[in-house]
This record gives sequence, C-alpha cells and structure tokens, in this order.
Amino acid sequence: MAILYKNLKLKTLSLGPLILLYFLSVTEIDTQFSNYFEILSFNLQLIIVYYWVMKDPSILGNGHIFFAGIINDVIMGLPMGLSALGYLITALVAMYIRSVTVKMTFFTDWFTFILAIFFSQFINLILISNFSDLNISYSVIFYNSLFTFIFYPIFWVLFNPYLTIISRFNND
Amino acid sequence: MSASREDFGIAIRSALLKKGARQKFSLFFLIIISFLIFFLDSIKFTAVDITRSFLRDGIYRASSIASSPIRFAKYSGDKIKLHFSIYDENKILKEELNRLKNKDFDFEFLSSKNRDLQKLIETDAEIVEETVLAKVLLDKDSPFLKSIIINKGKNSQIKKGMPVVDGNYLVGKTVEVNYLSSRVLLLNDLNSRIPVTLEPDATQAILVGNAEKNPVLEYLPEFFEVEEGKTVFTSGKDGIFPAGIPVGKIFLEENIAKVKLFSDPNQISFLNIVLTNTDEVESF
Repeated sequence: MAILYKNLKLKTLSLGPLILLYFLSVTEIDTQFSNYFEILSFNLQLIIVYYWVMKDPSILGNGHIFFAGIINDVIMGLPMGLSALGYLITALVAMYIRSVTVKMTFFTDWFTFILAIFFSQFINLILISNFSDLNISYSVIFYNSLFTFIFYPIFWVLFNPYLTIISRFNND
Repeated sequence: MSASREDFGIAIRSALLKKGARQKFSLFFLIIISFLIFFLDSIKFTAVDITRSFLRDGIYRASSIASSPIRFAKYSGDKIKLHFSIYDENKILKEELNRLKNKDFDFEFLSSKNRDLQKLIETDAEIVEETVLAKVLLDKDSPFLKSIIINKGKNSQIKKGMPVVDGNYLVGKTVEVNYLSSRVLLLNDLNSRIPVTLEPDATQAILVGNAEKNPVLEYLPEFFEVEEGKTVFTSGKDGIFPAGIPVGKIFLEENIAKVKLFSDPNQISFLNIVLTNTDEVESF
C-alpha cells in the first residue's frame, strides 16, 4: 500500500511540468506583456521544454511536446506544425547537450539555451518566410528570444527545487 | 578532428533516435511528422480544409472551457477595480452626458443633411449592414499574430474578410472561418491593411498594423500635414468594408502618424460581424 501511495505521489509530481506545458498551450494565458512594456514578451514553453528535457527527458515525453506544439499552433493561428517543430528542435538541442556534457552546471544550461533558441527560431523564420503568407516583425521575434534567454535563470531557480523533490522521491 | 566529428555524429544520432524506456516516439520521427503537417497545412485541398476546420473548432471550444477559470479571475479583478473607481467615473460620465446632450442637436441636423447628400450621390446603395453578434472565445496574444477567436463561423453566414466591429468601432476583419468559430485579425497586426479616410477633409490613407498597440497611417498625400485629434473612418474604397465606420483618433509619435483605436481589443467580450453583401469577400 505504501509503495502504491509513493508511486502515485511520484507520478502526480512528475505530471506537473507536463500539465504546465499543456496549460500554457491550451488556455489564453500568455507571456506577452506589451501592455506594460512594448517589447516585453517571452516564450515560457521553450524554457519548460529545454529545462525538463535537459534534466529528465522522461518527464515531458516527446509525443506530448509535439502535441502541445500542435495545440499552440491552432490557438495562435500559426501554420500547423510550426511550434511543434520549434519545441522539438529545442528538445533535440537539450538532448544533445545532455549527452555531451559530463557535469551540468547552471551556466552550461543557460548558455547552451542560446543554441536551442537560435535553432528553433531560425527554423520557424525560414518556414514562415518561405512557405507562409504571414508577415512577421523580426524585431518582435528578436526581443521575444532575448527575453526568453534572460528569464531562463528565474525559471531555473523555480524549477530546481521541484526537480529535487522529484529526484528525492525517485531515490527513496 | 575526425574523432570529434565522430563524437558529434554519435551524440546527434543518439539525441535524435534514442527513445528511452518511457518514450513512445523518437525526436527524429516527430520532427518529420511536424514537417509533413506543416506542408499539408499549406496545401489548399478540400479534405485537408474540412479536417483543419473541425480540428480548430474542437480545440477552440476546449481551450475556451479550460480558460474559463482564468477569465473569471480576470473578470472578478476588473469588477473589484471598477467598484473602487465608480464614484470618480460617475462624475466624469455626468460631465460627458451634459456635453453630449448639447452635441445631440448638432448631430441631428448633420445626419439629416448627410442623408440628403447620400441620396444625391447614391453611394453605399449596395451595402447591407446586417450584423451577427459573436462572443470572444479566446484572446491570446502572440509575437506572430494579433488576433482573437469568436464563437460564430460558417453556420452564421460569416465569410473571410468581413469587418468586425465593437459597438460602432472597427476592430478588425475575419481571416479564418471554421464551421463554428472564426479568427479575427486585429487592426494592429502586421498583416492588417485597411483603407481609411481622415475627417473632416476626406484625405485617403491606409491604416497599417505594426505589431504595436497603435497602427500607423501610410500612403498619405505628399506634403500632408498631420493634425492630431482628427478622426479616422473606413473609406470603403476596397468595396468590402462599409464606409464611415469609426476607427480612432490620430496622434503623432516621433513624426509618425499613428491612430489611437477607439476600441481596445483586450477589453472586448462581444463583437458584431458586419455581413457585407459582396462576393469579393470570399476571394480574400
């Protein structure tokens, strides 16, 4: 009974990041603060995908990352598959960094996140400018990427204790 | 050098293909699927269109339900804020009412004069200004697109390109129409272009979205001196939008003519879609 309870608790805890990812994709909650400061917006989904794939890829799951991206595209009115591709590229960079890095520190996490943002936004921009009628503002995308990078440490600090709790449960 | 290249290859291959114990799909497989979906989405094919339309309807409804607690929290917050500012607002409204009462007489005279002139030049004879009331299902901001989702679609005779108004004020136009829902492109989106006229001298211009809060006026006549506070209306030059829908007031920012919109898209709960009576709308 105790084992069953422990497993249930661990499973529920592990679902937290996934629920947050879906919640941000499905609901009208956004991380655009242009009403307060014209250029302030960031992509929290990218931060969630990068952090959790880097720390424990089994928590989010590739299929869920893909599906959350598709939902995000439908809600945002973007060509379908675009956000999914961005999230998967981010996950790919995170997986690569994870497999080549022996000792992960906060700074390796943070600075390699530049690569993830760069590749995901680069693919998105190439696809939009070549295969879609959508006009986009490059400066808005640049500021969005910049603030996503700048805000990463805040979420790193928020997610780290949560990861510690999950790891402790896992090891018990 | 070759060893490091080999290491890179191994690491990338492992990242792409490794599934782990709890993963059902590899990243490589899902990336390919994403590309496929992206290219399928860009194809104009009836079967794909119908599937896309039903998928969107479903996701919009689910999203609207999931967002209802957030909307309720926002609504409660606004109500509380409103409660505290009600006394000051009442004072302002009384002053405004007095001012409007005085203006009412001028308005009656001008509208009868306008009716006579309209008859004389026989304009707007083909425009049917029937409207459909719609509720805002979703209002999610994005760095790519400034738009909102409404709960009316093809089932309410809505077509692509129809003007959308909040009371009397222009908000945007429909750009995606599903069976039960539609997407409204807001005036400040980068993809929005609306022909407008500036009162009182009927100067023609194009209202262009710039992904910021206030859209800009472009294609103004050469050497045109912008006067702040002038009202901007739709000109109806495109043959789709009815002429004379109020849009906003002009103001200058760093010598650029911008328009402060009458309707704040973030505060809208209900909208009206103007069912413009023209076939050109469909080919938008």
